[in-house]
Amino acid sequence: MPEQPVIDMRRLHRFFGSTRAVNDISFEVMKGEVFGYIGPNGAGKTTSMRILATLDIPTYGDALVDGFSVINDPDRVRRRLGFMPDYFGTYADVNCREYLDFFARAYGLRGNERRRALAHVMGFTKLDGLAEKPIRGLSKGMKQRLCLGRSMIHDPSVLILDEPAAGLDPRARIELRQMIRELADNGKTILVSSHILTELAEMCDRVGIIERGELLAVGTVAEIQRGQITHCQIKARVLENVAAVATWLENRGDVESIRVDGQLIRFSHVGESDAQAALLREMILAEFAIAEFGIEQRSLEDVFMHVTRGVVQ
Amino acid sequence: MSSIDSSSSPFASGDPTEISEAVIPKGTLWQMMESGIELGGERLNPILVKEARQALKSKQFVITFTLLLLAGWVWSMLGVALLSPGVYYAPGGRFMLSGYFIILTIPVLVIVPFSAFRSLAAEREDGTFELLSITALSSRQIVTGKLGSAMLQMLVYYSALAPCIAFTYLLRGIDIVTIVFLLFWTLVASVLLSSIGLVVATVSRARHWQVLLSVLLLVGLCFVTFFWTLSFVSLIVDAQATAFDDTDFWLAMAAIMTFCISHAVMFVLIAAAQISFASDNRSTKLRVMLLVQQTLWIGWMAFFWIKFEEEEILYILVSVACLYWAFAGACLMGEAAILSPRVKRSLPQSFLGRMCFTWFNPGSGTGYTFTVANLLTLLLVTIVAGLTAELEGFAAARGGFDWVIFVTLAVAYVIVYLGVARLVTLLLRQLGRVTMLLTFLVTLFLCVIGVALPLFFQAWLEGYSRMSYSIVQMSNWCWTLEEAADGNLLTFSLVPIIIYCSAVVVFFLNLLFAIYEVEQVRLATPERVLQDEREMHPSTDEKRGGSSPWDDLKAT
Repeated sequence: MPEQPVIDMRRLHRFFGSTRAVNDISFEVMKGEVFGYIGPNGAGKTTSMRILATLDIPTYGDALVDGFSVINDPDRVRRRLGFMPDYFGTYADVNCREYLDFFARAYGLRGNERRRALAHVMGFTKLDGLAEKPIRGLSKGMKQRLCLGRSMIHDPSVLILDEPAAGLDPRARIELRQMIRELADNGKTILVSSHILTELAEMCDRVGIIERGELLAVGTVAEIQRGQITHCQIKARVLENVAAVATWLENRGDVESIRVDGQLIRFSHVGESDAQAALLREMILAEFAIAEFGIEQRSLEDVFMHVTRGVVQ
Repeated sequence: MSSIDSSSSPFASGDPTEISEAVIPKGTLWQMMESGIELGGERLNPILVKEARQALKSKQFVITFTLLLLAGWVWSMLGVALLSPGVYYAPGGRFMLSGYFIILTIPVLVIVPFSAFRSLAAEREDGTFELLSITALSSRQIVTGKLGSAMLQMLVYYSALAPCIAFTYLLRGIDIVTIVFLLFWTLVASVLLSSIGLVVATVSRARHWQVLLSVLLLVGLCFVTFFWTLSFVSLIVDAQATAFDDTDFWLAMAAIMTFCISHAVMFVLIAAAQISFASDNRSTKLRVMLLVQQTLWIGWMAFFWIKFEEEEILYILVSVACLYWAFAGACLMGEAAILSPRVKRSLPQSFLGRMCFTWFNPGSGTGYTFTVANLLTLLLVTIVAGLTAELEGFAAARGGFDWVIFVTLAVAYVIVYLGVARLVTLLLRQLGRVTMLLTFLVTLFLCVIGVALPLFFQAWLEGYSRMSYSIVQMSNWCWTLEEAADGNLLTFSLVPIIIYCSAVVVFFLNLLFAIYEVEQVRLATPERVLQDEREMHPSTDEKRGGSSPWDDLKAT
């Protein structure tokens, strides 16, 4: 029997008047996967995450968490889900322990179980030393940790993290990334949105790119690159006759945008790996002194820029 | 753990002795008490625990509590100085209690209800409500937690002035019954006002509405406090005004008490319904509560009818009930007839169940029919009570069967006006979204137009000074009912007949448009949900053995 997805978005739509905040989004996230949700501001990330967190209902479509509908079984979804929104949502006149204790009680944890949950979460988020500190005295990074702690206090199998790294310093970002990866290694399914694409690329197993409420691409960065970008950027180092090589390349139909920089020639090539191998072979047969030939790897940022158009609604 | 599968949780203990050590009290009495309190604390509403922690550290509480203590102390000094030297030989309890009572009512009747309002409104403004709403807490638990927190604050304020109030008793001139009576009813009023504050907090999330509502609430609370203080201080000062020895007085208090409790519960349910998830059933519990209030009203009125044998009681019973149902019906008709699959899973399936319980489902058609059914029940009870009294001869009959015309007309008017309002809103729904407020305003508009239009028309025809009741005033429910109560409607026998016929036609027309709502049938519960249910409550299946004429569980 094939493994069932833990998160299953099914043709999700959410309209606000004439604005189509979410327009026919479907994707699946499997157990233990970290799924990156990326898109420009106003793309519909937060709206779809809020629907998944049972804070809003879709205009059309449904989303399932562990097989339960967010519309019809929100209480069952909530037991399995931890949500960290893009705001803190903290109380005044409460310290870290009291804050987490309150949410542990609210999730139905009692007695020793609650105490163990508090100890576990405070240890995991490294808030032990700040237990008695008032929340208003915490730094932004510490508040983010506290909010992550709150979202995992009831040991949910799914975590929805909306911009968890926003506004954090580099160290806090790295630590947060490590925590998320650790949670995924412990079997948690994580849906995380962020504007910091380099970080998402490092921690996510797959990503979904959303713009104007529509899901433009889903998959690993490499898969999206293969599916969306037909050109790959090739860098070749030629030891002599650089100009001749450039002219030779210009005469080929599968090569575009040639740039010469000393011994380096950069160009865009249309074709798969076998076509690239054929090109290299032909260059060697043409007796060019090729010292280096390789594909320049595209980052998630390149893919994102290529896939999206920067249009807002 | 109540809501999370303990076996799969990393927080679950592998050592069974760990929990039992904390649960089973042992050792000294003090340790046993401590364990007991700890166990009790575990069962407390989490909102109450959090709010109590927060409140004790908040500036608002510290300032109010300090001011209360200071005011109590200042009044003690001032009052004694004013009473001196008579304080040594003349009773001064009433005088002193008046001052303490005024000091107490401000925090208890203004600050506590307003804090309850702000507490819930702030959760919605700050976004913390969203975090709360995705926990295992139900919307009702959230509201009761807030109300519990308000009650805790009340008790703290009461305890702050308790020594002062005890001091008034020692000064003589005031009995313990009066003191308890005052404090008890002020507490009840505070609970009721706090529950109203919670409802107001859920009305709108828009910032400008919140500001407006908070101002209105504050003004309202100040008014209530002013009149409350005025009336109770006069009760304290005037020793003869209290009727504590009269049984009827206590019966009236008991009746008021039941209505206060039922209204507080109703307000809690309304607030909980307002903040519940969109696919929840927000209506059925409220309808049950409406039914409870109707039963309470009929019960108390029947009791007073038997006890006092006054025909006026029938008029009061029907007039108040008609106003109540006109208001409730106008609100119920504003509900959208959309049942989420989640709600449909629990719909009754048998013929008997559908016939009796369909009217408790959300929807404008079911709401209207529910209102009419309750009005007809009221009418039936009133007529049976009236006729029985006539036959037994114990009622002080004033004008034969005038009351029959009055009560039937009053009920018919509510049926007609609500029915027409519903038909209008059905038309409006074709154009766009119709909210509960709009439905209520449409009903109100029709009721006002029904009175004003014939008045202006007849005044235009005959002149205002020569106006007398005529058939033109048929839609004028105020004048027609007054004429019916005075027994003058017999000369216009066509008026009641037309109104009765209109009521029948309007009701059946509405029933026709409610068919869609009645046709809703139960949806099977998904297998995944049943599986989860079995995992959470393994013994449920065994308990589901019996069959019920109201339901058919096999279909699930």
